Amino acid sequence: MYRKFLNARSPLRLLEKGLQGGLGPGNLGVVIAGHGVGKTSFLVGVALDELLRSGRVLHVSMAHTVTHIRDHYDTVFEELAATTHLEDGARVHVEVDHGRSIRVYPRNSLTTAKLREAVKIETEAGGPPSLVVIEGLDFETTSREDFLDLKALAKDLAAEIWLSASSSDEKIEAPPPSIERMGDLVSVVLALEPGGETVLLRALKDHDNPDLSDLHVALDPRTLLLIRH
Amino acid sequence: MIHDLSTIRNIGISAHIDSGKTTLTERILFYTGRIHAIHEVKGKDEVGATMDSMELERERGITIQSAATHTLWNGHHVNIIDTPGHVDFTIEVERALRVLDGAILVLCGVAGVQSQSMTVDRQMRRYKVPRIAFINKLDRSGANPQRVTEHLCEKLSHNAVLMQLPIGLEAAFEGVIDLITMTAQYFEGDSGEHVVTKEIPAELRDEAEMARETMLDSVSMFSDELMEAILEERATEDQIHDAVRAGTLSMDLTPVYLGSAYKNKGVQQLLDATNRYLPSPLDIENTGVDLSNDEATLVLASDPNKPLVALAFKLEDGRYGQLTYIRIYQGSLSKGATIINRRTQKKHKVGRLGRMHADSMEDIREAAAGDIVALFGIECASGDTFTDESVQVSMTSMHVPDAVISVAIKPLDKKAVDNMGKALGRFVREDPTFRAKVDPESNETVISGMGELHLEVYVERMKREYGCEVETGAPQVAYRETISQRAEFNYTHKKQTGGSGQYGRIGGWVEPRADGEEEFDFDSRIKGGSIPTEYIPAVEKGFVDCLDKGRLIGFPVIGMKVVVDDGKSHSVDSSEMAFRAAARGAFREVYGRAKPIALEPVMKLEVEGPVEFQGAILKTIMQRRGTVIGTTEAPGTSRIESEVPLAEMFGYATDLRSMTQGTAEFTMEFARYLPAPSEVQKELKEKFSSKILDDDE
Repeated sequence: MYRKFLNARSPLRLLEKGLQGGLGPGNLGVVIAGHGVGKTSFLVGVALDELLRSGRVLHVSMAHTVTHIRDHYDTVFEELAATTHLEDGARVHVEVDHGRSIRVYPRNSLTTAKLREAVKIETEAGGPPSLVVIEGLDFETTSREDFLDLKALAKDLAAEIWLSASSSDEKIEAPPPSIERMGDLVSVVLALEPGGETVLLRALKDHDNPDLSDLHVALDPRTLLLIRH
Repeated sequence: MIHDLSTIRNIGISAHIDSGKTTLTERILFYTGRIHAIHEVKGKDEVGATMDSMELERERGITIQSAATHTLWNGHHVNIIDTPGHVDFTIEVERALRVLDGAILVLCGVAGVQSQSMTVDRQMRRYKVPRIAFINKLDRSGANPQRVTEHLCEKLSHNAVLMQLPIGLEAAFEGVIDLITMTAQYFEGDSGEHVVTKEIPAELRDEAEMARETMLDSVSMFSDELMEAILEERATEDQIHDAVRAGTLSMDLTPVYLGSAYKNKGVQQLLDATNRYLPSPLDIENTGVDLSNDEATLVLASDPNKPLVALAFKLEDGRYGQLTYIRIYQGSLSKGATIINRRTQKKHKVGRLGRMHADSMEDIREAAAGDIVALFGIECASGDTFTDESVQVSMTSMHVPDAVISVAIKPLDKKAVDNMGKALGRFVREDPTFRAKVDPESNETVISGMGELHLEVYVERMKREYGCEVETGAPQVAYRETISQRAEFNYTHKKQTGGSGQYGRIGGWVEPRADGEEEFDFDSRIKGGSIPTEYIPAVEKGFVDCLDKGRLIGFPVIGMKVVVDDGKSHSVDSSEMAFRAAARGAFREVYGRAKPIALEPVMKLEVEGPVEFQGAILKTIMQRRGTVIGTTEAPGTSRIESEVPLAEMFGYATDLRSMTQGTAEFTMEFARYLPAPSEVQKELKEKFSSKILDDDE
């Protein structure tokens, strides 16, 4: 019901121009960016898009505390509510909070078995997530089996799974080898690059789309939402 | 007066309930010669530990009130603030932390880091209090100091380093190995008062060498000099002490000491560490606000010759009458001096000045910056700042949360009627989160505070300390009302009853505050004098009159803005009274159209328990209309943060215990007001309207 106003600012509008109009259930997507460019905010924007369509989100992180992640959600939500003159913002905010669960693990400690356990607990407590966000996974040490397992989880849940990956470079021309080697398992790869007063979001991979030349947009560097025109 | 400030240590002993901190304090007072016999907590010998000065605390074996006591150890003045451990009393912990320079974090050698240790540790971090850790109860079965040290690193993110190794554990716990001097230390005499140094037992030699290396690795990060000396194998004890001190002061290192206070082991070494590593007042920067310069931040100097600035952090009413514990931040104070309470601007003469030792007192003539002393018979509230006449400084005010729960109390007999006022007056002065008032409608006395247990303890104290027995009503949640949409008003107040009449018309609108703030916002946009300027404050007052009791459910109205942009007056009949009445009339008329809603207090609840009980814990939250914010997993345990309406939290402790076999613990504090669900709204509205009907009959 809130989709109309959200459409206006969701960074995922980028993919509407693409082949499947988004990531799609059962698929894995990766966003790559340098340190501090805004991977968390971007993923929060993606999650809010889902939450405002009455979806359920499981946000898993090995990079930040619960409070830190929640602050990101609050900031992006408030920006959305303010710029779209959302009526009854307080109530919608409560609903959004209700549909989201954040889980924080020590660095390098998340296994797919743990993730499945977490999904089970969340499902019992409130319902299965329709979107899973995973932050801080080390792609170098994650095996192909782990990725196969993640992909299977996405399929089992009929959910989208978005992951973030760090890059040591600010300019990202192509997916790094650690992600490239999972190529067939990852459906969408996006890159965030700082570009003066905006952050540039580009698609490096969009399903089997051979032409990615159109797939780029400018985002607000604070909230990682689309810049308003 | 203490002239060398570097020898003062203002420390707190903070810990989870039952970690043994009262026993530890007792032993410290014994070894420093302040008391001459050791009493155990819980009154095994019918006397009770010295720091537990209240009967109730003795009975329950817990410490509720902070008491400050002064003692001497190896030429250092140690002021100990015994801080309470239970979460409902966190205001006391926070108030005490404000005046501390350093702390000893006591951990149980068996249970390790428990949820209350986390809360207290978070508070210490917030107030930037450097700490050393003491792992207690090593004589108990299951004690494991290495595991507790790992907990400190993993759960509390400390860079914790063992400074000692235990010699034996559990029933065989005999003494400690000092990893700096590389000696074994044993405790002889009836009460372990003779520390005997011997060689490290051969079977522990290798382990001690390894532990020393680990310790030096961590400690050398804080001193280049030490690092070089270690490489050249010429590190001295002093170099190591300096590096440990530097790491401790910057809060990057937590030295860990071992012992069993109950078995009289390890306490003297902990005192040595307190002197060596915890900060003196000179190591800490304290600030206040300059009241004569638009509240600009002001750095206070621990200098006895500067103007006086002191903070009253604790009030007690006992056998010495009204006692006020103060911490002097700047300047000095002597008997006979005149001081000013900067909140009330009242002058007070210092008749008597004392240093407190739990239940006895030592008269002193003067005290200076850095010291903690007690004033006698001075009327003030906790958190007040005292200065001399030359400066207008206030210590930044401490955050005092709103009360979230209230309960009506009724004295049971004549004696109780007489003493209730006295008791409540004292509690209100001592504890800013505790409030008491008489409800003008029901004529009942209503007390409010931060949680069920908070109020229970005061009811209990009334009975024990004042012989005042009261009957308590059901706990009441502090609901609020607010409006949810803009509505316009145009109201005329007109009365003609012979003589000069009353006339005032006001026009404008009410709306919810856009910024989400709770305070009432009044905005007058009157132009051209349609309401004479002198009557505008009366209009605001008229609206404020109505905020105490909303017309939806009878609770205070928050988050409302009123804009007045039109009106009319009469040259003879208009008055302040008429405009005040017009505003009240306008509020009555417009409020319903602004769609008022009921708000309920929502608490931030943190539950910590073993991973395997995560599902059960989530269930207790879901059953209570809670919203889970997030879960943090650490090896073995998980911490679940959530927001739960207070109305659903009664009896939670019992439920959580039974759902998790007593393995989980929780902390709770007020978070915010949120709209109550429709069924609660309906119930509250019905209750309010039936009350109005009753009143009309």
